[in-house]
Amino acid sequence: MKDPELIVIGAGPGGIAAAVEAAKAGVTTTILDENPKPGGRIYGQFSDGFKLVNPKFLGPDYEKGKVLLAEFDTFREKIDYLQDALVFGTFENRIMTFHQAGKGHRIPFNKLIAATGAYDRPVPFPGWTLPGVLTAGGAQTLVKMQRVLPGKNILFAGTGPLQLVVANQVLDGGGKVEAILEAGEINNWLKLLKGFSRNWGLLTDGLQYIRGIRKAGVPLLRRHIILEARGDRQVEEAIIAEVDQDWRAIEKTRRALKVDTICIGYGLVPSVELKRLVGCKHRYDPDLGGWIPVRNEDMETSVPGVFAVGDGAGAAGSSVAMFEGRIAGISIARSLGHLSSEEAAKRKKPYLSDMKKIRRLRDALDRISYPRPGLFELAHDDTIICRCEELTLGDIKNAIGKGTIEMNELKRITRMGMGRCQGRMCAPAVQEIIARQTQTPAAEIEYLNQRPPTRLVPINMLASLPGEFEIRHGW
Amino acid sequence: MEDMRIWKDVERGQAFEIEVDGVQVVAYEGETVAAALMAAGIRTTNRTAKREEPRGVCCGIGLCYGCTMVIDGVPNTRACQTLARPGMRLETQKGLQRWEVAE
Repeated sequence: MKDPELIVIGAGPGGIAAAVEAAKAGVTTTILDENPKPGGRIYGQFSDGFKLVNPKFLGPDYEKGKVLLAEFDTFREKIDYLQDALVFGTFENRIMTFHQAGKGHRIPFNKLIAATGAYDRPVPFPGWTLPGVLTAGGAQTLVKMQRVLPGKNILFAGTGPLQLVVANQVLDGGGKVEAILEAGEINNWLKLLKGFSRNWGLLTDGLQYIRGIRKAGVPLLRRHIILEARGDRQVEEAIIAEVDQDWRAIEKTRRALKVDTICIGYGLVPSVELKRLVGCKHRYDPDLGGWIPVRNEDMETSVPGVFAVGDGAGAAGSSVAMFEGRIAGISIARSLGHLSSEEAAKRKKPYLSDMKKIRRLRDALDRISYPRPGLFELAHDDTIICRCEELTLGDIKNAIGKGTIEMNELKRITRMGMGRCQGRMCAPAVQEIIARQTQTPAAEIEYLNQRPPTRLVPINMLASLPGEFEIRHGW
Repeated sequence: MEDMRIWKDVERGQAFEIEVDGVQVVAYEGETVAAALMAAGIRTTNRTAKREEPRGVCCGIGLCYGCTMVIDGVPNTRACQTLARPGMRLETQKGLQRWEVAE
């Protein structure tokens, strides 16, 4: 066997759809995924040991995921699927490195599809580092895949449908939800969902979730935000308030809620580290979660042969991820000569039209729930911003006051973003902090440079370079 | 000991014990360390290097490193990405912790 023509990073909906379309057309494809089983966050599968008795609590995603995973299964012979394979960057041109079973590997690529997904937007506010403050996605993983309640008395604070989904899963599992705070106007997106439910079944689910919450008697407070988490060694209390249009707290409405858990769901941030590392041009789009790669209609980035699909290229949900994946897979098959232009156009057509339909809905949703300025002004001077290096807003403001206006310089001066998470938890917020302190549009502030390794890997694996590193020729 | 597990709609595998700072805690086959700890109401997985503040599970998907612990002697191991195994020894991590190299 020769080197694969295509490597796909990430076996979520976008990556699987891409690999399937490419393999279907005859492209030799390798897909790498850091998880033990394919499906990504949304279609993730239970670990061995769990037996699913009744999938109802998993909602409609479960059935959709099953269809896609079954399709992936039928191509298993044609797709080289590497699980537990953590891609951590590239040191040489067009060679990716990954860590698997304690060893480092190199894999050369001709075409690359990055389907790296997204993660919950980190939102610094006083007390956000306390045990008991989780992201909505983290809470969902616990409840859905591990069947453990994140706490006894739970507050959700965020915007958009995800927190409603998770709250329902908590309620269904017998947990107690104290309240759900929606920073925006629920009525706006309810109206929106109703308008779309005629031609798109997807978000009629959203209405069901709201019904479930109302039935359980959980207060769903629109135009409310979390201001602070308090507690000695863990969360004991949340301070909340009503907000104005810009999500700035109306002080006289401040009040405390006794809770032991706070789940934060203010949208997703695309994981762009690998794309930035290979030099793809990015643009700042707050509607889609922040920095996203610039792409053409084939999903190809500014680096020829490097494609980006799914939430990692702009948080837009699993359906868009699948359509984008299929379009990228087909485009690559055409560019490698496996498909004629006519055949490729024919295969792409249904996905392009479906995507257009769902894009309209997503665009409207994004306009309603993108983060407003107040969300970036919750931290006080003594609030931790960089969790790994324990830097406060005051530390960062201090560096900016001395003339630092650039994120990479800030990193060198303060160590911001140099810890174990490599800036994932602080940089999206620091972008907005610098913008405010220097009165510069956030889009004009350059993001953190990426360096390999982009993920924490054991140094003995790196130190074994090049001896233990194997070039994956002939796999 | 409290149990935050949801027992409906799934069946769990074999139960076994893991040791957390010298205390025995029940875990089930397929559970992550983070899930087993949360189920037992244990939330602090480490204390930070500078301020010695408690931290615990935050992102749940292996990115934030909030839930790092010393697991079987290896510090900076993420509880949310590590499957519990019988006899596993966990310690609340202090700062970045010393690395004991076992040959």
